[in-house]
Amino acid sequence: MKRTLTVCPYCGTGCRFYLVSDKGRLVGVEPSVTHPVSRGGLCVKGWNAFGFVHHPDRLTTPLVRHDGTLQPASWDEALSLVIERLRSVQERHGTDSVMFASSAKATNEENYLLMKLARAVFGTNNIDHCARLCHSSTVTGLAETFGSGAMTNSISCFDQTDVIFVIGSNTTEQHPLIGSRILNAVRNGTRLVVADNRRIRLARQAVLHLRHKNGSDVALLKGIMHVIIAEGLADLDFIAARTENYAALAESLTDWTPERAAAATGVAAREIVSAARLYAGAERAMIVYSMGITQHSHGVDNVRCIAALAMLTGNVGRPGTGVNPLRGQNNVQGGCDMGALPDVYSGYQKVSDAQLRDKFTRSWGVTALPSTPGLPLTRAMDAASAGKLRGMFIMGENPMLSDPDQGHVRSVLQHLELLVVQDIFLTETAALADIVLPAACYAEKEGTFTNTERCVQRLRKAVEPPGEARADWEIICDMAERAGYQGMRYSGPAEIMDEIAILTPLYGGIAYDRLEPHGLQWPCPDRSHPGTPILHVERFTRGLGHFSPVTHRLSAELPDDLYPFVLTTGRTYFHWHTGCMTRRTHLLDREEPRSFIEVHPDDAARLGVRNRDELLVSSRRGKVRTEARVTAMVIPGVVFMPFHFAEGAANALTNNVLDPESSIPEFKVCAVSVEKLP
Amino acid sequence: MKVLTSDRLDQFFAALAETWEVRVPILLPDGTRVIGSADDGPRTLHGGAVLSKPTAAFFPQHATIFSAVEGTLQEPQAPERPLLVFGFTSRDLACLCFIDRFFADGLCDDIYFRQRQGAVVAALSGYCGTGGTLLLPAGGNCDLELFWDGDCWLLIAYSEAGKEIITDLPDSVPQKTLELFGQASEQLPDENEKLIKRASELLRSDRVPDSFWAEIGDRCIACTGCNLACPTCTCFGVQDWRSARQIERSRMWDSCMLDGFMRESSGHNPLGSEALRTRRRIHHKLAADFKKWGEISCFLCGRCDAVCPTGIGIVAIAGELVARFG
Repeated sequence: MKRTLTVCPYCGTGCRFYLVSDKGRLVGVEPSVTHPVSRGGLCVKGWNAFGFVHHPDRLTTPLVRHDGTLQPASWDEALSLVIERLRSVQERHGTDSVMFASSAKATNEENYLLMKLARAVFGTNNIDHCARLCHSSTVTGLAETFGSGAMTNSISCFDQTDVIFVIGSNTTEQHPLIGSRILNAVRNGTRLVVADNRRIRLARQAVLHLRHKNGSDVALLKGIMHVIIAEGLADLDFIAARTENYAALAESLTDWTPERAAAATGVAAREIVSAARLYAGAERAMIVYSMGITQHSHGVDNVRCIAALAMLTGNVGRPGTGVNPLRGQNNVQGGCDMGALPDVYSGYQKVSDAQLRDKFTRSWGVTALPSTPGLPLTRAMDAASAGKLRGMFIMGENPMLSDPDQGHVRSVLQHLELLVVQDIFLTETAALADIVLPAACYAEKEGTFTNTERCVQRLRKAVEPPGEARADWEIICDMAERAGYQGMRYSGPAEIMDEIAILTPLYGGIAYDRLEPHGLQWPCPDRSHPGTPILHVERFTRGLGHFSPVTHRLSAELPDDLYPFVLTTGRTYFHWHTGCMTRRTHLLDREEPRSFIEVHPDDAARLGVRNRDELLVSSRRGKVRTEARVTAMVIPGVVFMPFHFAEGAANALTNNVLDPESSIPEFKVCAVSVEKLP
Repeated sequence: MKVLTSDRLDQFFAALAETWEVRVPILLPDGTRVIGSADDGPRTLHGGAVLSKPTAAFFPQHATIFSAVEGTLQEPQAPERPLLVFGFTSRDLACLCFIDRFFADGLCDDIYFRQRQGAVVAALSGYCGTGGTLLLPAGGNCDLELFWDGDCWLLIAYSEAGKEIITDLPDSVPQKTLELFGQASEQLPDENEKLIKRASELLRSDRVPDSFWAEIGDRCIACTGCNLACPTCTCFGVQDWRSARQIERSRMWDSCMLDGFMRESSGHNPLGSEALRTRRRIHHKLAADFKKWGEISCFLCGRCDAVCPTGIGIVAIAGELVARFG
C-alpha cells in the first residue's frame, strides 16, 4: 500500500487527498486532514477521483490516421509527423495559420511549456485555453477595475464574514467544499443573499433569493447600487481614498431606481432594496460569482458591476470581504497565470510590451517573438472557416462538447488540414484528429496546480501511465527538441518551475521546496515572501480602484414565437465538463447517466410533458433529443441543460455570440423550442 | 501480563514483519494519520482513532472481484502473508464485529474473508488518545490489546495468535499500569452513548417528523463521506470494465446518500429525495439494524462527524434530534 499526497483533478477549490495504491493500481482516496480547505472532507467527485484512471478506454499508444482510420503508431513516427505537418501548414499558409489550445486540466509547468512552444518554437501567439469559456470576462473586467483578475480573498474568509452575496454560482454543486463552507457560515449567523433564478441548494438557506431574468445581472446590480447611494450606504471614505471615477459611476446610476431595475429583472423592487441594505449594511461582505456572471455577451460588464458594488461599500482588501470569482477547473487559474492566453506571457506580461518581449526572447534563446496578440479560442472556429487557420494542436480539451454551436465546431475541425489532439481518452474531438498523442493523467505525473484562491499546490505521481502514454510536459519537450529547439531540456517539473519563477514576478518565490505542506498563494515575489492570502490590502494592484460605468444590454438571442424558451446551460454535481473522466467513473455516471433538461411544471403541463418524457429541443443551430426533468428548480419560460453528454449535447443548441472584449460565448442565454416526442 | 517499553517498539515491529503483513497507524507528510505500511511513514501509535476506517484493511474502497482474460477466470489471491492490523480502538472493534457478522450472514462474502481470514487484529487503548486522553480498553473483540499507561504498553492477548506474538516479551507489569487499566475499564458510558440511544428510541417510537429530515437534507451536499468513512457501512457498487481481451469485475464503496443507490431501472426511486435518504441513513443505523441485529450499528467512532463538510454526522444529527423531540 502506498499513499501519495496530491491535488484533486476536478474543480478549482483545490482539495488535497492521498491516492491509495497497491501493486501499481489505485484502490482509493483518503482526504488530507490538515489541508485548510479539505479539512478531512471531500465532495463525491473527490472521493471517486481514482475511479477512471485505469479505465480500459485509456489511450496507450500514439495514433495516426491512415486511410481514414486512426491506427497505432510509434512515438517517433507520430511526433515527427506532428512537427513536419505543423511546419508544412505554416510554410504554406503563414506562421499564424496554426493554433495551440492548452488545458486547464494540465499542470502549470505544462501550460507554461505549451505557451513557450507556441511562441518560441512556432513563432505564434495563437495560444489559448478553456479559461476563454469560463472566466475570461473576469480576467478582463477585474484587470481593468482592480488590476488583477483573480479571487481577491481566501477560502478561509467565508468563516469571517457577515454577509455573503452569491450571484451566478451554484456553489454547493460546482465548488462543493466552498459551498459547504457557506452553509456552515449561515448556520453560524452569516446572512446569505442568492441571486440566481434556479432554486439552487444555497437558495434554500438564503435570507433573500432573487430570481432575476437570465441576462439581467447588470440591471439588478445597477438597481442595488442605486439604492446604496440613494440611502447613504456607500463607503465614501473608501471611495475617496482608494478609488477613481466614482462621479461617472454615480451619474450612470441616477435613473436606475429599484422600480426600473424591477421591470428589467422581474425581481420585486422591495427585494432589490433589501439586497442593497443587506449587502451594504454589513461590516464585512463577500461577493461570490461564477459562470452565471461571466458567460454572457455582456460578461465583462457584469464583472465591472460586481467590482463597482464591492468598491462602493469598501468591501475590498479586508478579511471576510472581496470579489470572489470561483475558478472552475482545477488549474484554470494556473493556465491563465502561465500565459496560455493569446496576449500575455506568464504572469500577465503583455506580448505587445517590447521590454517584456525582449526579456522572454533573451531568456528563451530565440531571435524574436511575435508581438501581435493571437487568436482567442472562441474565434478560432470562425478563423478556420475563413481559411486563416489551417492547423490546430489541442492538449487536453474537448471543444466538440465544450464549445458553443457544435455543428459549426464539427464542420471546422473536420476541414482543418491538420488536427492533433493530446489527451487521456479518445474524446469526441480526438476522434476527429489526424494524430492523437496519449497523455498521462493527473495521478501519473508531477507538477503544480493553482487553485481558485491563487494557491500553488503540488501534484504528485502515484502510479505509472498506461502503455506508452507520457506526461504532457515530456511530450512537449520532445516536440521542441524534434523541431530543432534546444531550450526545453529539463530534469523535471521542478526545474521548469524554477524557470517560471525567474521570468514571472507573481511566481518569483514559488519553488517546489517551499510548497510543503500545502502550497503558497501568489503574488509571491521572492523566496522569503510568505504568499498573499488577500489582494488589494493597502492599494489596488493597479493603484486606485477604477469604477467602470456600464450600460445595460440585452442578451443576443431572446425568446420569440418560434423559439419561446430561454435555454441556460451548466453542469451537474456528479459530472465534470465533457465527462471524459466522470462518465467513466461508475458511481458518478450511475447518478447522472443521460442528458436531461429541466422544465418548470407549469411549462410541462402546457406542453403535456411528464417527468422522463423524451423531448426534442431545437435552436437556430441544432436539435437534440433529451429527457424531461420536471422541476421547480427553474422558473417558467426557462429551461436548463447540462453540457456533459455527447448524446443530447447542450452545445449543439448554444449560440457562439461573444462578449466583444473577453470573447466569451453566451452559454447562459439562447432561445429554444421544446416539444414532446411521440 | 506482558509489557513493552517504547525503546523496544522498533525491535518488536521489525520482528513481526517477518511473519505478517503489518499495518499500523502512520504519520503522513502533511500530518494526516492513517493505518498503513510502516514503509509509508513513521509509526504513530498515539493520537487516537485515525480518520480513515481501519476496517478498510479487509473491505477496501475498491477491490477486484474477478478478471476473465481470454475466457479464463482469475480471482484475486489471499495475501501472501496474513494481515496484522494495529490501530483499532474499542469502538472500531465493535464495528469490526458488526461487519464480520454481516459479511458472514447467509451467503458468506468470500472477498471480505479472503483478507479477514487469518488476520490478526490489535487494538490500541489507554492514555494514547488525542492529547493523551483515554481510549477505552477493548477487553476482547480482538487478538491483542496494547494499553498505554503514560510510560509503557501493557499487552493483553485474547487469542492464540495474540499470545504467540507477545510470547517473547517480558512479563513484569508496573503496578501503575495495572491500576490505570483497572480504572479505565470501569469508565462509564459517555454522553454521546446516552444521546445515540435516546435518538434510537425516538426513531423507533416514530417521534421524528419528516420536516426534520427535510431540514437536514437541505444541508447535505451528497459528498457520501459519512458512508465512506463509516466502519459499519458495507454497501458497494459493482462495475465491469471490458476491453478486447479482458473483462474485469470490481466493487467499490457505495453510498445510500446517492439518488442512484435505490433508483429502479424504471426511474422510480423509493428514496427519491434528500430528506428520505437522510432519514434512511440514520434510521438504518439506529432503528433498522437494532431490529435486525439487536444493537445500534453506530458505535460512536466519530468519523462521519469528522468528514462531513456541513456538520450533519450522526452525533450532530442525534444531538439536534434529541434536543427538539426529547
